[in-house]
Amino acid sequence: MKTNDSGSGDVRLTGISKTYGSFTAVHPLDLTVPQGSFFALLGASGCGKTTTLRMIAGLEEPSSGTVHLGDLDVTALPPYKRPVNTVFQSYALFPHLDIFENVAFGLRRRGIKSVKKQVEDMLELVQLGEQARKKPHQLSGGQQQRVAVARALINHPKVLLLDEPLGALDLKLRRQMQLELKRIQTEVGITFVHVTHDQEEAMTMADTVAVMNAGRVEQLGSPADLYENPHTTFVANFLGTSNLIEAEVDSRSGGDIVLKAGGGKLVLPEARCSAPTTTGGKVLVGVRPEKISLSHADDAGEIPEGRNRITGKIADSSFIGVSTQYVIDSSVCPEFEVYAQNIDRDARLVPGADVVLHWSPAHTFGLDAAQDIDAGIQEETAV
Amino acid sequence: MPFVNWLKRHFVVIAGLLTLAYLLLPNVVVTVFSFNKPKGRFNYEWQQFSTDAWKDPCGVAGMCGSLSLSLQIAVWATLGATLLGTMIAFALVRYRFRARGAVNSLIFLPMAMPEVVMAASLLTLFLNLGAQLGFWTILIAHIMFCLSFVVTAVKARVMSMDPRLEQAAQDLYAGPAQTFLRVTLPIAAPGIAAGALLAFALSFDDFIITNFNAGSTVTFPMFVWGSAQRGTPVQINVIGTAMFLVAVALVLTSMVISNRRTKHKA
Repeated sequence: MKTNDSGSGDVRLTGISKTYGSFTAVHPLDLTVPQGSFFALLGASGCGKTTTLRMIAGLEEPSSGTVHLGDLDVTALPPYKRPVNTVFQSYALFPHLDIFENVAFGLRRRGIKSVKKQVEDMLELVQLGEQARKKPHQLSGGQQQRVAVARALINHPKVLLLDEPLGALDLKLRRQMQLELKRIQTEVGITFVHVTHDQEEAMTMADTVAVMNAGRVEQLGSPADLYENPHTTFVANFLGTSNLIEAEVDSRSGGDIVLKAGGGKLVLPEARCSAPTTTGGKVLVGVRPEKISLSHADDAGEIPEGRNRITGKIADSSFIGVSTQYVIDSSVCPEFEVYAQNIDRDARLVPGADVVLHWSPAHTFGLDAAQDIDAGIQEETAV
Repeated sequence: MPFVNWLKRHFVVIAGLLTLAYLLLPNVVVTVFSFNKPKGRFNYEWQQFSTDAWKDPCGVAGMCGSLSLSLQIAVWATLGATLLGTMIAFALVRYRFRARGAVNSLIFLPMAMPEVVMAASLLTLFLNLGAQLGFWTILIAHIMFCLSFVVTAVKARVMSMDPRLEQAAQDLYAGPAQTFLRVTLPIAAPGIAAGALLAFALSFDDFIITNFNAGSTVTFPMFVWGSAQRGTPVQINVIGTAMFLVAVALVLTSMVISNRRTKHKA
């Protein structure tokens, strides 16, 4: 059942969209998932990521556009005729069948008679050989999750679709299952398309992440690329934390743009700016909290030349263990976040202290100022 | 006060046993009096032990005929009501159609309506249609009043069913027919079985509606009622006891089976 025609196993979405009445869940979208990759669709709930996944599965009919698996146009095929299997959110295991029969379900429906060996091997792979004759409700959440994966994988689909598969597990188990799924994917070499709202999960597991927002793909790339070079404020804020400063383009020197922000000057490499930069125009300057060094104002003279710097006052600090997270009140940004590794702790860095923030211009990125600066900032949710 | 303390400690058990006795006493009386040898035509006073009636359960003219008729009607009414009721329940839960809300409430009307009113209006309807009263009118009436109960039982089950289960089946290469047979139906089965049992019990012992719409046909409840006017043969108690024993046996078997299954699984 395995596909060997390399290159023709891609999932290709062309102009695909979904509307419900007047509500557009997914705007026309082009997306190619290369064969054998681990691809994540990341976004907050309601962003259209699950709808996109369900259109690949055939459980949702696209309002426009086509779905191709390799050279095969599957747009008009019902789900039971597509070489695609899904691991559902909360697993959807058949409650009236035991674990063995759950896993054997797909094989039996395709008329395969001798399923015993295959099912036992698959249950071995997910370490559930002992549980074959139990009913789903007798297993723990983590075990049920593995049954759901086994039930889908046994069919050797061209693509495995995972709809928030780890959402119902506790944090520790989730970390464990992330590694487990990644291991299985490497082992079987099947294309995985994974839908999640958890940015850490997406970054840990996927080769390529598509960040979705309000029915559109905001940005697509490797986890490191998305994190280091966000192109929109949504991506900058949704993946990790970003400090964004409103600045004005002042001049250029070499490959760098010099910006004015609150009286001071900041340097931004032109290559790292995704916004148009006409002199006098506005740009949002971004920097990640862990890229910033924090010095007490008394030591300002020791900061090397050529670094971007901002002055401020410590508003709050919280000790996390490996790091200390500071909130700095500065003239350019009221809540500047800084994460400092706890290597040599400076006892003077307490709330109320005057400080200088400085970082390498290479760690600065620029965004179009005509966007909502707070887009993608998530409410603190218990995950 | 050791007795009072003992009473306090076992109060719940005692109350439970008393309630159980209260529930089962009529059955005990029926059983005991099935071994009576009454003087005269009425079986209301204990005379002496005898197994005559058990040896000849069909010894009363017309009784076993009415029993067999009641069983036949109950079986057909159960089949008809379960089939129609299950389809109605699925339609009400799964599909959005015009007047769905109205149908949802109307389906429960027969349960709320006084039985005697329904019986009389059905009779009027049958007479106006010029229908011949008998087996078929009884069957139609029974299917009608059993429907609401089946719909209620099945609907509850279908509503609590996760739609993703059917999607998962489709995702695993089951076409619409396979999905229904392998997933939908087995999961809805307990609700359907409950509805069918209810329908059987309701149909078998219905008197009022049947009496209005039976014409000259006599079902078992009608036979009992009729004979109570003129004298009650002991065989009625024999049939009653036998029905009770069959029901108890069925319940016990299903308990043993489900017990064994859980033990086997664990």
